[in-house]
Amino acid sequence: MGPTRHPQRTRPPRTGDAALTSRRRNQGVARYYRLYELLSAALQDGTIAPESALPSEPELCARHEISRTTVRRALDRLEHEGRIVRRRGSGTYARIQRAVPRFCLELHAFPETMAALEARTTATTLRFGPATVPEALRAIATGIGPAAYLIERLRCNEDEPLSLTAAYLPQPIARRLRSRIPSRASVMTMIDRLGPPMTAVNCSVGAIAADAAAARALQVPLGSPLLRVRAVLAGDGGESRAVLESLCRSDRLQLKMLEGS
Amino acid sequence: MTKTTRAGAGVSRYLRLYRVLSQALAEGRFGAVGPLPSEPRLMREYDISRSTVRRALGRLEAEGRIERRRGSGTFAREQRGESAASRDFRPVLDTSANPPAAEVHRTVTFRHIPTPAFLLGDEPGFGATTLHIRQIRYLEREPVVLETAYLPEEIGGGLTRRRLDAEGGAILSVLVSLGHPSASLEREFAALAADPLAANSLRLDVGSPVLNVRTRARDPQGRMLAHVNGFYRPDQYEINVAIGGGEAGRHRKGKRSNR
Repeated sequence: MGPTRHPQRTRPPRTGDAALTSRRRNQGVARYYRLYELLSAALQDGTIAPESALPSEPELCARHEISRTTVRRALDRLEHEGRIVRRRGSGTYARIQRAVPRFCLELHAFPETMAALEARTTATTLRFGPATVPEALRAIATGIGPAAYLIERLRCNEDEPLSLTAAYLPQPIARRLRSRIPSRASVMTMIDRLGPPMTAVNCSVGAIAADAAAARALQVPLGSPLLRVRAVLAGDGGESRAVLESLCRSDRLQLKMLEGS
Repeated sequence: MTKTTRAGAGVSRYLRLYRVLSQALAEGRFGAVGPLPSEPRLMREYDISRSTVRRALGRLEAEGRIERRRGSGTFAREQRGESAASRDFRPVLDTSANPPAAEVHRTVTFRHIPTPAFLLGDEPGFGATTLHIRQIRYLEREPVVLETAYLPEEIGGGLTRRRLDAEGGAILSVLVSLGHPSASLEREFAALAADPLAANSLRLDVGSPVLNVRTRARDPQGRMLAHVNGFYRPDQYEINVAIGGGEAGRHRKGKRSNR
């Protein structure tokens, strides 16, 4: 167990009201947006229970020392997203509906849930051709050289983008895939079908800010949070058969894992 | 579980560009000392004005992460501590969620509260009151994890703050020592925009991406032992998991791991 000594330079965490008015790190972030994020988190974790009343506008103004216009802008956005209702003469209330993404990948039952996702969504190939494997991916995939084939695919539910995947494969495997990627199957499934069977897929899951290309493809504003899944597909002999990076919109695609019974 | 991931409106353009470049630098995408794209190129690619590009570069320069050389361009400077201390979620239940030994934790909140509505709704096991714990974990004095845990009174009633701290603040191992080892752990991963509480605890900007892991620990009867909501700094953490390959996974039913 690690040391329990406190770090020398601890600062009391700001909570609630102080969090909003803290000026230290809020350069570039609008005040209304800070209130929006605060209320949004309270609605999400149930601190403001469904159907219960939110603090009144004058209360919010006083508590956070912000103008009525700012408060209204935050509430407008929550209302627009369908998360609160404003009743004239009565107040603002949390709505019951909990937005759960429609699609879910369960890592403990990956083949089954991936198959279900493939059946219900479609993918388009954006790029297919020789490319240099980014250094970060080469570092985790032994046996994949710098020169490989890139297959970039965008998976959508009708016209709603869910994930953007860049898969890097050795040339021979890419050649065999070329003519046979149907619009539903994932690159991972296709490689698997080529055989021989894969032994493991090692993933790392992180969060990143969408850059220009990802933001365009996934239709989110620049800098939006995206889940990044990097996976190495290993064959029987432990050799890497492909390395891929998938950027997912967490509001549309849920990632889950169950350990134990 | 999800809230909207729209981080666009309300966050200025310069800050969004700053985030993207900051992330690329941390990952070494421009090389250790390599050139960044030119200002005109950034303007085109991100469809923003020169002054916005300059503001983002100005902040990176002030942080000592880039160097701007007149007439020559913008260059990355050696990044400090870029490697993520990635946590390994091994399939061994009782030790799986222990924080790395190098982490120091601080318990910010330890109190009994009326059970929040979201726990009463769909989680069997929670009664009228709940133990509410909030911790921040530090790695080399930088806050890296904000964790909020809820334990049903029946489970957490006997727990004291001192005992929790003596065990390094690790909720799941405390459960074991309380005589309630978890039989199952359900985890949900998401990328969220930092709310003001998470942002201030982790010293991030409001709206910047955080890695969210929500864990539900249950006993063999399926009763909830703990609900833990963790926010991880994405520049410090990624989560490693091994999953079964497609056909191989289909042949062997159930959970697979290559370990």
